[in-house]
Amino acid sequence: MSGFVHILGFIVFPYIALTIFVLGHAWRYVTDWKRWNAASSQFLHKDSLKGGITIFHWGSLLTLVGHAGGMLIPQRIYDLFGISEAAHNFMAHWVGLVAGLLMIAGGGWLLVRRIGQDRIAANTSVHDYVLLALLLVVSGLGLYNVVFTHYDVLYSVAPWIRSIVVLAPNPALMAPVPVSYKLHILSAFVLLAYSPFTRLVHIWSAPVTYLYRSYVIFRKLPGTKGA
Amino acid sequence: MKIKAQMTMVLNLDKCLGCHTCSIPCKNVWTSRQGAEYMWFNNVESKPGIGYPKNWEDQGIYRGGWTAKNNRLFLAAGGRVTKLSRIFNNPDLPQIDAYYEPWDYDYGGLVTSPVKKHQPAIRPRSQITGQSMEIQWGPNWEDDLAGVCETGTADTNFAGLDAQKYLEFEQAFMMYLPRLCEHCLSPACAASCPSGALYKRDEDGIVLVDQARCRGWRYCVSGCPYKKVYFNWKTGTSEKCIFCYPRTESGMTTMCSASCVGRIRYVGVILYDAERISQAASAADPKDIYPALVDIMLDPHDPDVLKQAEKQGISEAFLKAAQNSPTDKLMRKWPLALPLHPEYRTLPMVWYVPPLSPLQTGTENKKADETLSDMRIPVKYLANLLAAGDEAPVRRSLKYLMALRAYMRSLRLEKTPDKSILGQAGLDEKLDEPAVLEIYDLLAIAKHKDRFVIPTAPNPDQADMRAAQGEKGFE
Ligand code: HEM
Ligand code: SF4
Ligand code: SF4
Repeated sequence: MSGFVHILGFIVFPYIALTIFVLGHAWRYVTDWKRWNAASSQFLHKDSLKGGITIFHWGSLLTLVGHAGGMLIPQRIYDLFGISEAAHNFMAHWVGLVAGLLMIAGGGWLLVRRIGQDRIAANTSVHDYVLLALLLVVSGLGLYNVVFTHYDVLYSVAPWIRSIVVLAPNPALMAPVPVSYKLHILSAFVLLAYSPFTRLVHIWSAPVTYLYRSYVIFRKLPGTKGA
Repeated sequence: MKIKAQMTMVLNLDKCLGCHTCSIPCKNVWTSRQGAEYMWFNNVESKPGIGYPKNWEDQGIYRGGWTAKNNRLFLAAGGRVTKLSRIFNNPDLPQIDAYYEPWDYDYGGLVTSPVKKHQPAIRPRSQITGQSMEIQWGPNWEDDLAGVCETGTADTNFAGLDAQKYLEFEQAFMMYLPRLCEHCLSPACAASCPSGALYKRDEDGIVLVDQARCRGWRYCVSGCPYKKVYFNWKTGTSEKCIFCYPRTESGMTTMCSASCVGRIRYVGVILYDAERISQAASAADPKDIYPALVDIMLDPHDPDVLKQAEKQGISEAFLKAAQNSPTDKLMRKWPLALPLHPEYRTLPMVWYVPPLSPLQTGTENKKADETLSDMRIPVKYLANLLAAGDEAPVRRSLKYLMALRAYMRSLRLEKTPDKSILGQAGLDEKLDEPAVLEIYDLLAIAKHKDRFVIPTAPNPDQADMRAAQGEKGFE
C-alpha cells in the first residue's frame, strides 16, 4: 500500500468515521428521537426470531467486550496480572472463535428471516438489510482472521487503535499487518460511521439502570409543584 | 400516611348494552394510525369468552402482573436480571395474531373494475403485508357469544364451575365487559419496563408511556396482566390508554365515558394512602386484596385526611372533586363496585358494578341469597372475574342492586315505600333510605354532572408544549 493510501486509510478515514459516528448519533438523538429504539419485529413473528436473535446478540456482546478488553487495555496491564502474551492470544483466539460463529450464524438467520418471512420483509427497510449484511461482512472477516491468519495484534493493531483514541495516530504500527486484518478494521469503521443511521442506536440505550431503579416511577406535571 | 389522588372509573355492567359506541371515538382519535390499527385502548368483550387478545386472562400463558411471597411483590415474569438476560426475545410476548392481523379492503377495485356481468367483489388485504389474506380473528370475534361454544372452555373465569354446562344452549349466559387500561396503583407495566419509560403521573395517577424514552424492549406488553399496553409494530414503541388526559386536564371526561350510550360510566377522583400500596397488593390470600384495597382508600370528608392532603400539596380542586366523586362513593362508601381481577395484584383503578341477570324461577318466598343463585350468570363466575373468586362481595353488590329495584318499585309504582325490603335483603344499616335514593339517582338517572366530577389540572408551564408534542403517551 502506498504511503498516501495508508495514511488515508489509517488516519484520515478512521477520524472521519468517528466524527460521523459522534455527530450522527447527536443528530439522530435530537431530530429522530421517535425512532431511537430497537425496532423490534418480535411482535409480528415470534417463532422465527427466537434462536437467531439470541445467539446473534450474545455473540455481539461477547465481541464488543472482547474488542474493548483486548484492544483498549495494553498488554502491559495484562502482564501485571500475570496474563502473558501467549495466554492472552490463546484466550482471544477461542473467545473470538465462539463470538464470531455466534454472530455469523445468528446474523445469517436474521437475514434469511428478513428476506423470507412475509410480514418481516414487508416491514424491513433498506437500512435493515444493509446493516445485517455489513455486520456479516465485518464479523466474517473477523472470523476469517481468527481461523486462518494467526497474526499477533497485541503490539500492532491494538496500540494503533489506542493511538487513534488518544488523538496521537501512529499509522506506522499498521504497516506490517496482513490485508485481511486491514479489511476487517476498515469495514468495522464503515460500520461505526453507518451505525447512527440504523437501529444500532439501541445499543447506547441498553437499560442497565433497570438493575437498581425503583420499580414504579411517579412524575409531576412539568412546570408545577404537584397537584 | 402519603396521600395521593387517583383518577378512577366505575362501569355499571348492569346497564352496558354492548354497543361498542365507547370504542369508536377512542379508536378514531387515538389509534387510527399505521402500526396502531389493531389497538383498541377501549374494547368491549362478550363474556364468557377468551377476549382480546386471546386468553389475556390466562397468566399461565403471558405471565403478567405480580406474585406475592412473604408480603413481598415479585413480577410474575421474573425479576430484573431475568428480564435483562432475555431482552432480545421476550418469551411472554403475544404475537399480533393474538389480537388480530389488521386488514382493510381494496375499495378502489370497486371503482376501477371494468363492466362485468356480476358485481365486483373486494377481498380483505393485510395492513401489514398489503397482500390479500384470510381473516382468522378480529377485534370482537366473540361478539354476543359467537363461537364461544368452542373457545369458552378456555375462559379462566369458569374456575370451579362446569364450563361445558354453561356453554350448552339452555344454560348459556352472557354479559359485556368493556375494558381499558386500569391505571393501576401498582402498575406491573411500569415495573416491567427496563427503560423506565412508563410512569404514573403524580397528580392524578394516570399511567403513560413516555414516547421519548421507550426503546421498544416490549416487557410492558407482557407485564400488564390486562394486556392493555400495545406494541406499535411500525414505530417500534409501546402505546396505551392515556385516560384522555388532554381532556381530563381541562375538566372534560374521557371519550369512552362521554360517548357511552348506556350511561354506565362514572369518572372521578379518589384519595388513597400510597405508603400502603405494596402491603395491600401483597396480601397472602388473593381474596384479601380487594378489602385491603378498599382499606387504603381515604375518606375525603375526614378532616384529618383533608388536613394532611393539603399539607402534602394536593390541590383544592382535587380535594373538592374527591368529595363529590361518584367513583369514591361506588368504590369505597357504599360499596357497589369491584375491581377486575384483583388477584393480578396491580391494584386496578377501573372498577365494575356486577350485572344482575334474569332469574330462572320465581322469587317468592326466597331469601336474597337463594335468589342470587338462581340468576342466569353464576355468582361464582362474577366472583372469579371481580373478586378473586370470593362470592361474598359480589353477593353484597347484587343484593344492593336487587333491593334497590324492589324498594324503588314499592315507592314509585305501589306508592307504599317498604323499608323492610332493605332489611330483608340482609343489608347493613348503612344503606338507609336517603342513600338508596342517592344510589338510585346515580345509577338509574345517571345525570352527566353526577357521573363525571373531574378537577382541572394545575396550570402547567406552557412554554415548551410544542417541543414536547408527541412525547406523552401517544404520537
Ligand atoms: C446492549 C444490549 C443490547 C440489547 C438490550 C439489544 C436488544 C435488541 C432487541 C430487543 C432487538 C429487537 C429484536 C426483535 O424483536 O426484532 C434487537 C435487534 C437487533 N440488535 Fe440488539 N441489543 C443489544 C446490543 C446489540 C449489539 C451490540 C448489536 C450489534 C453490534 C446489536 C444488533 C442488533 C441488530 C442488527 C438487530 C436487528 C435484528 C434483525 O434484523 O431482526 N444489538 N436488539
Ligand atoms: S392496566 Fe394499565 S396501568 Fe395496569 S398494568 Fe396494565 S397498562 Fe399498566
Ligand atoms: S358505550 Fe357504554 S353501553 Fe355501549 S358498549 Fe360502551 S360501555 Fe357499554
